[in-house]
Amino acid sequence: MVRVKSRYLLCEVNVTDRNLLLLLDDRAVTAAVKDVVRRMHGDYGAALCSFGFSVKYLNAVTGIILLRFPKKCYKQLWSALPFITSIEARGKQISCFLNCIYVGGTIRTCQKFLIRYNAHQLRRMLPKCKSEEEKHNIQQAILDCCLTRTHTEEAEDTLESEEDE
Amino acid sequence: MSCGTEKKKAVDLHQGVLQKNLSPERYLKIQLELEEAVTLTEVELRFFIISGLRSLHGEVGAALNFDLLEHSDVSNVAVLKVSKDDLVKLWSSLTLQGFYKNHRCAFRVLQVSSSPPDS
Repeated sequence: MVRVKSRYLLCEVNVTDRNLLLLLDDRAVTAAVKDVVRRMHGDYGAALCSFGFSVKYLNAVTGIILLRFPKKCYKQLWSALPFITSIEARGKQISCFLNCIYVGGTIRTCQKFLIRYNAHQLRRMLPKCKSEEEKHNIQQAILDCCLTRTHTEEAEDTLESEEDE
Repeated sequence: MSCGTEKKKAVDLHQGVLQKNLSPERYLKIQLELEEAVTLTEVELRFFIISGLRSLHGEVGAALNFDLLEHSDVSNVAVLKVSKDDLVKLWSSLTLQGFYKNHRCAFRVLQVSSSPPDS
């Protein structure tokens, strides 16, 4: 039997004010994407978006979202994503832009990439540390990533604690 | 011979021309049929087509390049020139246009070709 194929777009939400990022939820992102696709590609785009599109994963702390599109039309819907200027969540407008960092065929490949990406971000953050405690936390997190690749939850937890800079 | 001329008349009604379609443009000869006798100027017709494209295909559709080559005020017949890739979007949006300022309307496509129509 032929498998239903889809494309998963891993996107990063860039905002100026990190506190607003915590207000994100998947319904707000869904509404924003559908609205912009409707504006860019009309009724045809809205119909493409209605059935196969969904938000699979959302991390409000790091600003990473995973969108699922059907394989047949993902390029068209991808082309509408740069036109998102703001997302409305819980009554507030978060002005932001979406940056697509990876396109995968399955959630598993996206997850593997995200783990490597987060580890890379940790290493980038190390020289920018302001206090000894933060430096120690990041070093610990990096060590955890390297030693045990399966314990990804620990790495992501320490990453979350780092966001309080 | 009378038999030969009658056959020739029948052939003239529906002419099938096979072309190689090498040029990247397509010419669409359309007629706008309206319930009441309303005639549109070139500008109004162009705006109407663009608004149809915008509703079906969004901003991307409204930005499609098409030329309104010939336009007859009396019979609402026009010739549009559009690129080969955009033909499907334009034709589909013309098909789905049902209303012009509360009058029911329909676009009839009379001819599609890859070279300018003769008339």
